[in-house]
Amino acid sequence: MPLSPAVIPELRRLLGPDGLVVTPEGRMTYECDMHTFYKGTPELVALPRTTAQVVELVRLCRREHVAVIPRGSGTGLIGGATAPEGGIMISTTRMNEILEIDLANRAATVQAGLINVWLSNAVRDRGYFFAPDPSSQMVSSIGGNASTNAGGPHCLKYGVTVNHVLGLEVVTGAGELARLGGKVTDRPGYDLTGVTVGSEGTLGVVTAVTVRLLHTPEGVRTALAAFASIEDASEAVSAIIAAGIVPAALEMLDAAIIRAINEGIHAGYPTGAAAVLLIELDGPQAEVAAQAERVAAICRDHRPLAIRVATTEAERALLWKGRKEAAGVLGRMTANWLLQDAVVPRSKLPAIMREVGAIAARHQLLIANVFHAGDGNLHPLICYDERRPGERERAIQANEELLAACLALGGSVTGEHGVGVDKAKNLPKQYAPADLNFMARLRRAWDPDNIMNPGKLLPSHPACGEGLRVGAPARIPSGAWV
Amino acid sequence: MASALGERLRAIVGAEHLASGAAAAVDGVAPRFVARPASVAEVSRLLGLAHAEGLAVAPRGAGTAQGLGNPPTRLDLVIELGRLNRVLEYEPADVTVSVEAGMTLDDLERVLGKHRQILPLDPPGWRARTVGGVLATNASGPWRFRYGTGRDALLGVRFVQADGSVTWGGSRVVKSVTGYDIPKLLTGALGTLGVIVETTLRLHPAPECERSWLLGFASLDPARGCLAALLDSALQPSRVEIVNAGTLAALGEPATAAALAVSIGSVDAAVAAEGAELDRLARAAGGGARQLADDFWERYGSLFAGARGVRLRLAGLATSVTDLVALLEALAQRHGLGVRVGGCAGLGALTAVLEGECAPDAWEPAILGPLRDRLEGEGGSVAVEQCPAALKERIDVWGPVDPPALALMRRIKTEFDPTGVLNPGRFVSRL
Repeated sequence: MPLSPAVIPELRRLLGPDGLVVTPEGRMTYECDMHTFYKGTPELVALPRTTAQVVELVRLCRREHVAVIPRGSGTGLIGGATAPEGGIMISTTRMNEILEIDLANRAATVQAGLINVWLSNAVRDRGYFFAPDPSSQMVSSIGGNASTNAGGPHCLKYGVTVNHVLGLEVVTGAGELARLGGKVTDRPGYDLTGVTVGSEGTLGVVTAVTVRLLHTPEGVRTALAAFASIEDASEAVSAIIAAGIVPAALEMLDAAIIRAINEGIHAGYPTGAAAVLLIELDGPQAEVAAQAERVAAICRDHRPLAIRVATTEAERALLWKGRKEAAGVLGRMTANWLLQDAVVPRSKLPAIMREVGAIAARHQLLIANVFHAGDGNLHPLICYDERRPGERERAIQANEELLAACLALGGSVTGEHGVGVDKAKNLPKQYAPADLNFMARLRRAWDPDNIMNPGKLLPSHPACGEGLRVGAPARIPSGAWV
Repeated sequence: MASALGERLRAIVGAEHLASGAAAAVDGVAPRFVARPASVAEVSRLLGLAHAEGLAVAPRGAGTAQGLGNPPTRLDLVIELGRLNRVLEYEPADVTVSVEAGMTLDDLERVLGKHRQILPLDPPGWRARTVGGVLATNASGPWRFRYGTGRDALLGVRFVQADGSVTWGGSRVVKSVTGYDIPKLLTGALGTLGVIVETTLRLHPAPECERSWLLGFASLDPARGCLAALLDSALQPSRVEIVNAGTLAALGEPATAAALAVSIGSVDAAVAAEGAELDRLARAAGGGARQLADDFWERYGSLFAGARGVRLRLAGLATSVTDLVALLEALAQRHGLGVRVGGCAGLGALTAVLEGECAPDAWEPAILGPLRDRLEGEGGSVAVEQCPAALKERIDVWGPVDPPALALMRRIKTEFDPTGVLNPGRFVSRL
């Protein structure tokens, strides 16, 4: 239902003169997230500072039958923080306070808009860190991380965001303020915290997050191993995991990505390699030392071109800078790209990488790979140029074949980016109608009037795939993170 | 009527797998029948029949935690899942396994042990318990400090809803955000939203070497100091349990006022180095460390699993743990009870067993009330995991749930089981 202009004065009273974005130019900033393919401009953008304001906002939206679209920093890659049906976007960017740090209980509570890395920065001197580290962590918000259950390179060892969220403050679609979980775990009742994490703003607006902090490990060692083929690198990954070693991170980058990184940010990755593994071990010094030897031995069994160990913190930082900015620099080298986030069982990595190569050859497209190999979480970037006739269609076809191949191996549609509008149509490939029906009914228990982020996450949801204004395929911004 | 129902149940599971319910009472409420299905399809048909006939159903794994929760408001049929005990898929290189819910953790350990992998769910008496039962009751043990609980282990779940619909949630890979995280909803739901029938679980490599130490102290204060120092260090223990004097005595360990039982799992050299550091921390706090025999954890678990009396599950902050032990000991002494306390000190999750004579009417005001008052401010809770049926009638087993969260829980339960087929009355606020 279109928004009645009569609510604007009411909203101004609630949020203050600078708390509302009304102008077309201002709202245009919020028309898409990092997946610029999907566009939908909100009718208004609200910039609350307090939870109480969010409660009032959601209640007003429910009363007026308008959609609520929660948004953190807008770094999502799935069109989740867009308003294809209009409605009011609630941006949490001004809710960015650290509310409590309780190191004795290894926990912190922050407002939803706090930038991920700010929390680790605030506790690093005391020897602690917040483990979830999506590549966007310099700018993405912890509320957004919780809403999408973000991953990151180090979730191989430490788990994804949900494993670190102890509690949430959330305003449900029914307009209730619920405090779920908290510093104390094991509360009687359903694990509503666990259900809300990853719900992409379809159940409510997350306003504050209580997270677990971890103590910085005693030792850390970062190394890079270069291989002459993707196959050798994939088999090395499977062998490391099968050997019972759990690296903190185990990332793979292929030749196209290595070239882009070296040209874009001069990270000094070995040239001429078909694939590079970025391997990080952390933990007690003696454990790191023993496991480093074993990992090196496994890599040597797979015909490496070079193994390089970072000897200074600066070298380590440069290796990671290359990884974290890889997708962004590639964005400068191709006109357009499509991005997958599918997952395969770890033992299937060599098989799926062969398939990726075959699909690229079949469609005569460059598919660049930079991904969380240790988790089996692929991020193939299918490069194309929309100005060349037929190339976009071939890219879409390649994308679908790739997803089908991952699912055929027992995988999942999305490992960490989420569903949003981008992948909603693919859920029936992974779930039966009864499974999707269960999710839709769960959603209804939280959001009886279907106002929360409509058209996202579930395919059966009204208007999903319809009424969606799909903009002309655009370049993914060069600053995107995967 | 009963025989007509019995006939229909027999048609589903076969005569040899249907028994009278007399021996399967839950808190004194005996069901009419116990059915032992052999497949997901049979569970589905049983629940479809229960739904159509308005029967109340209690799922059951090994039956070791049937005392958890309120007494059922109604009970007609117990569905016992012990015949669903197969490994469905195990590729060790994936470090995941898919098994049916009725498999015992002991059987699963034998399968995984051949590949030096573990499912690190180790609640008291875990060997006899089933995968589905441990998940549905959110039972945990000492290993949770390092490896987490059921919510961290359960990647994918097949369950049968109250109307018999067979439903899947989650995935078979270690990382997936495809749709809502249904496994989280089912974990700890006590079978009130569905009967768990198949699971895909995240495994871990078994540590090459694991050793444990008992850090003993003359009073609770130095134990508190040592715990704080341990948690504020870079040490990476796999278990950090607090053990009170009553538990130490029951285990036949040398008497001290309190102790921390700590395990380190890693490569040999790291275990030795961290063990030495534990010894240093214990001494610095005025106590001493002593290495424990390999069988300590089995004996420790059995002590709580096999306990008579009233067993409580307390959840508080790590910084409250020694206060809670002191309060439990003071309350027990005042009322002439014995008390054994153990539990994950590092995460504030304690188990206490109280033994002795105490009038049923006295428990709520004399024991549960003061404990809940102490924990209320920090969002903690006290659940009664096991107690005599006569006492259960008089107490609030789960304790209060925050009203907005409870409202959501009610809407969820009403959405999926409006007629109350699954475990009616047993969960929080008698959902």
